[in-house]
Amino acid sequence: MFKRIITIFVLVLFVMSVVSCGQVKKESGITVAMVTDVGGINDQSFNQSAWEGLKRAEKEFAIAVSYLESTQDADYSPNMETLLDAGNNLIWGIGFKMGDTIKEKALENPDQNYAIIDYAYGEETPANVVGVVFKEQEPSFLVGYIAGKMTTTNKVGFVGGMKFPLIEKFEFGFKAGVKLANPDAEIFAQYADSFTDAAKGKAIANQMYENGADIVYHASGGVGDGVIEAAKEQDKFAIGVDRDQNSLAPEHVITSAMKRVDNAIFNVAELLVKGEFPGGTTVVYGLKEGGVGIAPTSYKLVPADILEEVEELKAKVIAGEIIVPSTPDTFAEWMK
Amino acid sequence: MIETILSNLALIIGTTLMYSTPLIYTSLGGVLSENSGVINIGLEGMMVIGAFAGAAIGYFVGDPWIAFIGAGIAGGLFGLLHAFACVTFGANQVVSGIAVNFLGAGIALFLSRMFFEGATMTKSIALDNKMPRPLNGVFPDGSLLKIIFDNQYATVYLAFFMVLIIWFFMYKTKYGLRLRSVGEHPTAADTLGISVMRIRYFAVIMSGVFAGFGGAAMSLAIVSNFRPTLISGHGFIALAAMIFGKWKPQGALLACLLFGGAQGLAVFLGQFDFEISTQLISMLPYVITIVVLIGFVGKSAAPSADGIPYEKEHKY
Amino acid sequence: MKLTFKDLRKKIYIFATEKTIGFTLISIFLGLVVGAIFLAAAGFNPFQAYGIILRGIFSKPSYISYTIVRATPLILTGLSVAFAFKTGLFNIGAEGQFIIGSVVATATGYFLHLPLLIHIPVVIISAVFAAGIWGGIAGYFKAKFGVHEVISTIMLNWIALYFQNFLIYTEGFQKPGGETSYSIQPTANMMILKTWKQSEAGREWLLQHPFWKDLLRTPLNWGFLIAVLMAILVWFILNKTALGYRLRAVGFNKFAAEYGGINVNKNMIISMFIAGGLAGLAGALQVVGVSHKVTLIAAMEGYGFDGIAVALIANSSAMGCILAGLLFGALKYGGAKIQPFMQAPSEVISIVIGSIVFFISIPKLIKVILSRKNKKGGSK
Repeated sequence: MFKRIITIFVLVLFVMSVVSCGQVKKESGITVAMVTDVGGINDQSFNQSAWEGLKRAEKEFAIAVSYLESTQDADYSPNMETLLDAGNNLIWGIGFKMGDTIKEKALENPDQNYAIIDYAYGEETPANVVGVVFKEQEPSFLVGYIAGKMTTTNKVGFVGGMKFPLIEKFEFGFKAGVKLANPDAEIFAQYADSFTDAAKGKAIANQMYENGADIVYHASGGVGDGVIEAAKEQDKFAIGVDRDQNSLAPEHVITSAMKRVDNAIFNVAELLVKGEFPGGTTVVYGLKEGGVGIAPTSYKLVPADILEEVEELKAKVIAGEIIVPSTPDTFAEWMK
Repeated sequence: MIETILSNLALIIGTTLMYSTPLIYTSLGGVLSENSGVINIGLEGMMVIGAFAGAAIGYFVGDPWIAFIGAGIAGGLFGLLHAFACVTFGANQVVSGIAVNFLGAGIALFLSRMFFEGATMTKSIALDNKMPRPLNGVFPDGSLLKIIFDNQYATVYLAFFMVLIIWFFMYKTKYGLRLRSVGEHPTAADTLGISVMRIRYFAVIMSGVFAGFGGAAMSLAIVSNFRPTLISGHGFIALAAMIFGKWKPQGALLACLLFGGAQGLAVFLGQFDFEISTQLISMLPYVITIVVLIGFVGKSAAPSADGIPYEKEHKY
Repeated sequence: MKLTFKDLRKKIYIFATEKTIGFTLISIFLGLVVGAIFLAAAGFNPFQAYGIILRGIFSKPSYISYTIVRATPLILTGLSVAFAFKTGLFNIGAEGQFIIGSVVATATGYFLHLPLLIHIPVVIISAVFAAGIWGGIAGYFKAKFGVHEVISTIMLNWIALYFQNFLIYTEGFQKPGGETSYSIQPTANMMILKTWKQSEAGREWLLQHPFWKDLLRTPLNWGFLIAVLMAILVWFILNKTALGYRLRAVGFNKFAAEYGGINVNKNMIISMFIAGGLAGLAGALQVVGVSHKVTLIAAMEGYGFDGIAVALIANSSAMGCILAGLLFGALKYGGAKIQPFMQAPSEVISIVIGSIVFFISIPKLIKVILSRKNKKGGSK
């Protein structure tokens, strides 16, 4: 008898499942999907930026787009499979954490196109994969220059999330920019060992401001919420990262080092629609390619003459006259 | 030299106050609930919903106090849920509390997506619409008091005041005595004509309210928005602080301050280029807590009826 | 046999109130109903959503495999928490013990060079042992200093998190230029046919055999079988051995046990050691079977906290943990799919799980509801 009840129970559930559903295909018939990393779709950072790029491509090229969020590192692989089964023409992995997974999946499914943000396979790029990397040091360099020019105390700060090479690119690019603008400036740098602890970000920023810094740049995800909050309270300046973060504190975020993940995603979508998917290559987005830059709202708080200088500097970087350091070693070299 | 030491000390104190405030509210909630005999492991979930409600109401309404109270109500609703299960239906209190944790997080994110165009992060609240900072600009520039108090929000002072109120309530009023007696000897309390049910309902709902305040102290003061990772483990730390403080409001306060102080120390030490890795420094607050517990606090005992559902005999 | 509606109702009543499994099933059903209400309120068709979830779990061999892979660590952390519960302790520390297990497994898997058949056991045993000690510390603190295990395990979770990050930064362990450790040696790998399926020949063959290709694209490994064996072992220890008897006696009534000549302190440490070892095993299996390395973690991943829910859904029964772990793994894995297919927020899954746990906490409520109906039906 109990079996019968269980049977009914299971039947009810299966009846529910009869209602079918399929992914909506738009005119072009092309679908693109992305897997976020553990930051989630609204991280105010590259996942969100990636999704904005996809949304833009959806409008522009009449493609269908979707995303899947990951909550643990172990989600990446199953999420990739889910999107594979949904029949997408291109699957994005947002974030270097998916580097190994994407490569594995690409080798297993040679007919499926994949692309990844912040990861380069170099020579070993499979023919169905595009790696997209950014020169984060370049916009960091420009905002560093702005900070170096605008500081009145000759002290600026950098708050990092966790210390590993990707975040160090922000740190050393920034330091190089500050030193170029203002060789005497003192730079505080501290890592929060977290991308989530906003209170810690605020405490670190408070400490920097108290020690005399008047501009603090952060590359630290949710920790940065606290950094920007501290700037608001103390009426000091902060510099945002990844996206234009001016809206978080319109009078205190002077500029942001932008990483145009949205542009990269959009461009690759365009190539895909044209049938020119650049599989097997690594695309590098620097200032030259328009893949990074400073926030368009910078004019609000940064004096025009400094912005002009920044433009000149930008031209030099694009021309290859300045090679911005991105590691401790190249920075030491630069300082000489 | 001495000046630098003092100003650094002031900074650490400032960080301590900021860090401990959300924990103080939440652990007060724990104190109320557990002294009435109901374990509340759902503090984390109540904090999450409070943080979301505070940030969302603060953004839409623009008044921090309405938002703060709204956060308390949101937390209180989850307290009601917990009380409903634990008091009326004699639920296993740990199970119900874990359920509250899942529900709090799930519902907060779900609502956020409904109200903020699919985003799990709420929009930032302007500084003027956040909690007021009562001592902002009161002290002269460069003074130590300014370093400590200039940017502390009203929630900080209110937290200390609440500790006083709860302490007074618990130990100096007859209702407090009833609450404690219900937590220690519900049967005896019952024979004296005290309604175990009513008192436990009150205590558990209030614990939700306080946890909601704790969440709002995060989203309305320390930062100005909610995001899914804003409350990550704070409720559990507050729970630990409550046990650390031997189920007493003043004890919980000290435990929260200790923890906040250790965080302040970690931030302070983090600015130097030590040979020690920063991970080990970040570990400090947790290590210090354990060391202090072992060295100075010793055994602690919960109220004797904590965790035991109360049923009147001869009910049927 | 004719089944009237009245009979059925009575049967449900007995099933739901007198059998744990029946009551659990009803709770799961009610949890799904709550989730459906939320979905409907937000303007999504709940039937469509549950349809997607069900098909997302069962409609392909790879989906079933993923569900199992997803469930494996949860079964073990669930067992860890359940074991501690049975002995009167609350192990919130499964999270940290999992971390210690995974980082030690990665270290021994990478640094040691051993033959195939020896390497995996060495890796797993060392990880279990290390995590056991991590858990045992909390037991020791409780026994020796009276530190409540809830506090010490919460603190130890965070210490474990930073400890793992600290180790990853050590030179020789960190993969240069990355935020991960090196991957374990191939001899320590437990994923089925890992090297073969990525080899040229393997890929050729798999292209010809869609069923196997589909199944093997998942990190299918032996972990699930080990988890099931562990559940049996835990059941055996608790119910059939003298040690288990002593542990349960301590859990049931500390003072009576002490009076009866049982060394309570020693048993508390043993209990936390075993609980820690189980959670550590979850971490070790995750490394040797799925991830093969550890990554810098910025926040708790939740294996331990989900384990608490698994243990509670299972009513702390060892065998129940297998089923509850599978349910949990299935909901988490399948639930994520409603996002790309119908743009519905996958947080609903947390609400469903929370509701299930909530209903499980209140057997009386369901009893009351059902018995009232029963009385109205006049069947008493």
